[in-house]
Amino acid sequence: MKRLLALLKREFWENKGAFRTTPLVISGLFLLAMLMFLITFNHFDNEFQSLKELLRFIAQQDTDLRDKVLYAANMEISVLFSTVLGFVVFFYLLGSLYDDRKDRSILFWKSLPASDTLTIASKLLSAMVVAPLIFWIIYVLTHIVIMLMTSVVVMVLGENPWTLFLSLGSPFEVWSLVLLSYFSQSIWALPLYGWLILVSAFAPRIPLLFAVLPPVMLGVLELWIDFLKTFTLSDNLFGLFGHWFANSPLIMSGDQHSNGDFGPALGIPLTSAYDHEVTVANMFDRLFSTDMLIGLVIAAVFLSATLWLRRRATES
Amino acid sequence: MNNVIEARGLTKRYRKTIAVDNIDLEIPAGRIVGLIGPNGAGKTSALKAILGLATYEGHLSVLGKSPAKDRAALMEDVCFIADVAVLPRWIRVWQVIELTEDIHPKFSREKCLQYLAKTKVTLDHRVKQLSKGMVAQLHLAIVMSIDVKLLVLDEPTLGLDILFRKEFYTNLLNDYFDEQRTILITTHQVEEIEHILSDLIFIQDGRIALSSTMDDVQQNYIELMVTPDNAPAARELGPMTERELFGRHIFLFDCANRAQLKELGEVRTPSVADLFVAIMNGGES
Repeated sequence: MKRLLALLKREFWENKGAFRTTPLVISGLFLLAMLMFLITFNHFDNEFQSLKELLRFIAQQDTDLRDKVLYAANMEISVLFSTVLGFVVFFYLLGSLYDDRKDRSILFWKSLPASDTLTIASKLLSAMVVAPLIFWIIYVLTHIVIMLMTSVVVMVLGENPWTLFLSLGSPFEVWSLVLLSYFSQSIWALPLYGWLILVSAFAPRIPLLFAVLPPVMLGVLELWIDFLKTFTLSDNLFGLFGHWFANSPLIMSGDQHSNGDFGPALGIPLTSAYDHEVTVANMFDRLFSTDMLIGLVIAAVFLSATLWLRRRATES
Repeated sequence: MNNVIEARGLTKRYRKTIAVDNIDLEIPAGRIVGLIGPNGAGKTSALKAILGLATYEGHLSVLGKSPAKDRAALMEDVCFIADVAVLPRWIRVWQVIELTEDIHPKFSREKCLQYLAKTKVTLDHRVKQLSKGMVAQLHLAIVMSIDVKLLVLDEPTLGLDILFRKEFYTNLLNDYFDEQRTILITTHQVEEIEHILSDLIFIQDGRIALSSTMDDVQQNYIELMVTPDNAPAARELGPMTERELFGRHIFLFDCANRAQLKELGEVRTPSVADLFVAIMNGGES
């Protein structure tokens, strides 16, 4: 356990820029945009003469509507964090077992009494738990700072921030759902993560090329076979990989839900295999599906191959 | 006493070539063994097998464990420096110390800091900011602070200047080595390590050409330097090699009568380098 923690620490130190600086930069951008909005709003020539009038207008709206809009807005703040997190994890895994082979520091790591299984576990856990957790914490902190900044402005303009927005939009529920969707996504994405870590273990150079080319070729092949069968492109344009992406349990878009309300959605609401409304049940629906089971089997195959390769990484 | 390394029929094949060819090896505890061989002789392949970094055929046991199966467990009692400058470039000195402390149960931070205090390496340095020599000092400081039974050094001083190289081996001998420990070294700079070795193994084309203690080497091999007049007489005694230097003839003998040789000229113990050349060339002819 101590060793695993040490290895996780190593991953964090090595990838501090990606894991910590990146979400902080996003957070900074959010706060900057917020500040710029508050400062310049008064100068805009639009239907509200001032921020005060806008707040007055909002305060007069139906509480239920404000609650729903705020709920959706709170959740959508996470989308930028999630998107960047996706890229960070992608490139982190792609380099995870490649960089130390490249600079030969693998010879140092292998001189320590930590097994290859533990090493791979530390990389996978960094991608599945550590990185999402850091992004989530910074997302929540950003959200809190935004709420505080807005509260101050609202109070200065003579409105009550509590009744206006603080008591609405269920921030705690939103935060929990976002965290849960991050971890669900970590599991849902395991076949991809397994593939990336496998590529990083075998690619002799340019791991990105090795990672992207086979799936693209498979995708095109699938599209072509489909086309031969139906002579139309409309049916299954997204293919297997597209469906996997669209069915993701990560909050990434918006949709009209079954009750007629428009709100945030899991994945992209272009497929009908799963309900896209953001609920715990819908996330679990994906995690306990046959698709997930197949995904786990594929991930297990990739990870075993990775272990086999890592054991022989110092052969020549 | 049990052998630290025991190999029987150790073989390492690459796709077409055989790097290590059916080697038998026994290295007891408390020795400093020099593994010497020309480039491509199979030294590194043999070391990789011993360290669990490569697959192999045959029987191999290091400290009673199988390197292929138990690398992680083995590394609690074995440490190695494979090549210079393999410390990760991004890491800071304090980080590498903390990681080693967390992962290695037999690491002493105190000792490591003592060793480092004698160098210009500071805790806040990143490895990439250090010179090659300083990286070697850092790596050696870490390795010497780990209480292991076997230390393997594969060309640990390659590319370092002579001051660093001298200091490296002095530190190793004075501060680290004792009867419980075994050190296995490969290097091309034989002259620098021959005075610290207790055992010598020559390896050529994946086979062991010589395996002997330094005491035996000094007993058995005699270098004779004679004037041209005495050269034919010396030649009669069946030397391994003959060479000429400044008009003198130098012969190398294996198991010859020392008294008899003394009558012909000046008798010395050959250097490991000369012995190496003699045995390697002998193997070819």
